[in-house]
Amino acid sequence: MSHAQTDTQPVLQVDELTVRLNSSQGLVHAVEGVSFALSRGQTLGIVGESGSGKSVMARSLMGLLPRRAVAFSAGSVMFQADQPPARDLLLMPEKQRRHLRGPAMAMIFQDPMTALNPVLRLSVQLTESVRQHVGLDRQQARIRAIELLGAVGIPDASRRIDQFPHQLSGGMRQRVVIAIALACNPSLLIADEPTTALDVTVQKQILDLLARLQREHDMAMILITHDLGVVASRADHIAVMYAGRVVEYAPAKTLFTAMKHPYTEALFNSIPRINDPSHTRLQAIPGRPPQLVEPAPGCAFAPRCQYAQPRCWQQTPPVVAVDGEDDHRHACFYPISETPAREDADV
Amino acid sequence: MSDQTPCHLRDRDDIVLRVLQLSVNFAVGKQTVQAVTDVSFDVARGETLGLVGESGCGKSTVGRAIMQLPPPTAGRVLFNSQDMTALSGEALRQTRTGLQMIFQDPISSLNPRRRVRDIIAEGLTIWGRDNASVRVDEVMAAVGLDAASAGDRRPHQFSGGQCQRICIARSLALDPDVLICDEPVSALDVSVQAQILNLLEDMKARYHLTMVFIAHNLAVVKNISDRVAVMYLGKLCEIGNTDAIYARPAHPYTRALLASIPDADPLAREQASIDNEPILQGELPSPADPPSGCRFRTRCPYAQARCADEVPQMQAVADDHHVACHFPVLTP
Repeated sequence: MSHAQTDTQPVLQVDELTVRLNSSQGLVHAVEGVSFALSRGQTLGIVGESGSGKSVMARSLMGLLPRRAVAFSAGSVMFQADQPPARDLLLMPEKQRRHLRGPAMAMIFQDPMTALNPVLRLSVQLTESVRQHVGLDRQQARIRAIELLGAVGIPDASRRIDQFPHQLSGGMRQRVVIAIALACNPSLLIADEPTTALDVTVQKQILDLLARLQREHDMAMILITHDLGVVASRADHIAVMYAGRVVEYAPAKTLFTAMKHPYTEALFNSIPRINDPSHTRLQAIPGRPPQLVEPAPGCAFAPRCQYAQPRCWQQTPPVVAVDGEDDHRHACFYPISETPAREDADV
Repeated sequence: MSDQTPCHLRDRDDIVLRVLQLSVNFAVGKQTVQAVTDVSFDVARGETLGLVGESGCGKSTVGRAIMQLPPPTAGRVLFNSQDMTALSGEALRQTRTGLQMIFQDPISSLNPRRRVRDIIAEGLTIWGRDNASVRVDEVMAAVGLDAASAGDRRPHQFSGGQCQRICIARSLALDPDVLICDEPVSALDVSVQAQILNLLEDMKARYHLTMVFIAHNLAVVKNISDRVAVMYLGKLCEIGNTDAIYARPAHPYTRALLASIPDADPLAREQASIDNEPILQGELPSPADPPSGCRFRTRCPYAQARCADEVPQMQAVADDHHVACHFPVLTP
């Protein structure tokens, strides 16, 4: 296998992905025109508040949305695990897609308790995918599973493997979920809020573990979170989502030093900062995130945006690149021109 | 129980809440879980004390034990010099109106079948206070709710942030001295979290509140607190002035906690001294069988033989900065 080829060709190329879901209130515009590309070894951080569409997007990439729930999907998701050509996942029949889940792409979920089956021993859950996809026999699969548990830092793996999920702490369970996801060496790993349910000291252990495994396996990773701090130092690129759209996309460092979209700025300023003295007044964003059922015309952030102009209420701003920077894009008519708020950011 | 006052308690006239050698044990099967052991602190009028620690450290149990929900196994809770642990029945109910609590999940804290106005008025109705409806309008306006349009609706018609405003309004209705906030913003989105934190600061100023703010998010706690108390496995590790603790954390556990926080500003972190702090290894020991001596010693990078033998007592490392560690990390 030529490595040069896989390096130049992205593992995942998403173009104008749009997903609308059925709900009792009407059509939910969950994901609207999202585009990005991701190569091996790279991490894309996706940041957004609840209801911004980040999890729906992740599930649609994995093909995990219930078919009845999806009213409409458009765009393309070109995926290429090892050999070209890349294939459009949205056009692929479900029978073929299921052969990709596990060996080619895998996902980690927020709550490690509900992601694991409480009535099955870890050994069963860890060996399922290698037996199914790689064709190992029971004995080989067990040896592989013990290796995996060791690799994710679970001590005494050969004893632990016969335990049930409730016998493990939250951090340990998330390690098991990671081990299951990595069992078949996927090219793409989607981690949806992998540390939100965990304590900060455990969060750091898990994020460090993911970074190490990503390096070892040369995986592409999508790290979804509501915490800007989690992606700040761990992602190569960051996409900020609001109301189903990527409102800003930039290399991680650029995003924090030269943010363009008012929502990115507002989100950044509303977070209490560990380096600010206590009782620093927070710059809260007024109002609340919009409903995604029959969204109003115009920019979804306009009602909460301090820079909004009449035009913002009427037209939806298209995604445009920042002058001279191909990988910094935003969707705003009136982007922030100077380094905002935190002038000390590039000292 | 020794009556010797721990050195980190302050000798001041304006102490509203004083917690002395508080312990809470729970019976779980045949085992006894020591959820809180020998915790003492005080909160002065108008002050906010932040109580931080990871899940299972006993911080919520302390908050509830102050309210006598349930009463602590040992220790005393002095509220305006009155020992709440000695009260019961009517006297306790009467006294407890001076302390109010708000919780993590604002939606499940509100009865879904009742109107917002009735929820907020409940305390006033129970105590037969005059002019209840005037008071309800006032506190609703104070937390940013429109009494005319919101009062007759039910909780499900509001977002999480709005429901937390309703909870705050309810807690303020009886004009309490002390507000105990148990993770009040951790279920909220970041953009709404800032609104609620600002609102709590405003309410504190407007109604002269004293607050105990329980949370696991260290940045949130720093933002709102005058003083911070760090807990680990049921014990107090470090207590003192917020800015001092965050600038010069002395307890190895506090240092590990602070080093674990991912900061949203990757550039601001580079000069921080705690960045070289070793990552915390291992798992939280069982509170049913805590380690001897210092409870943190099994995970502490600086632990020595003495830590297993002797329970570390609080000692001052600076003015209003105390730490319970045999080998505190002292930075100039």
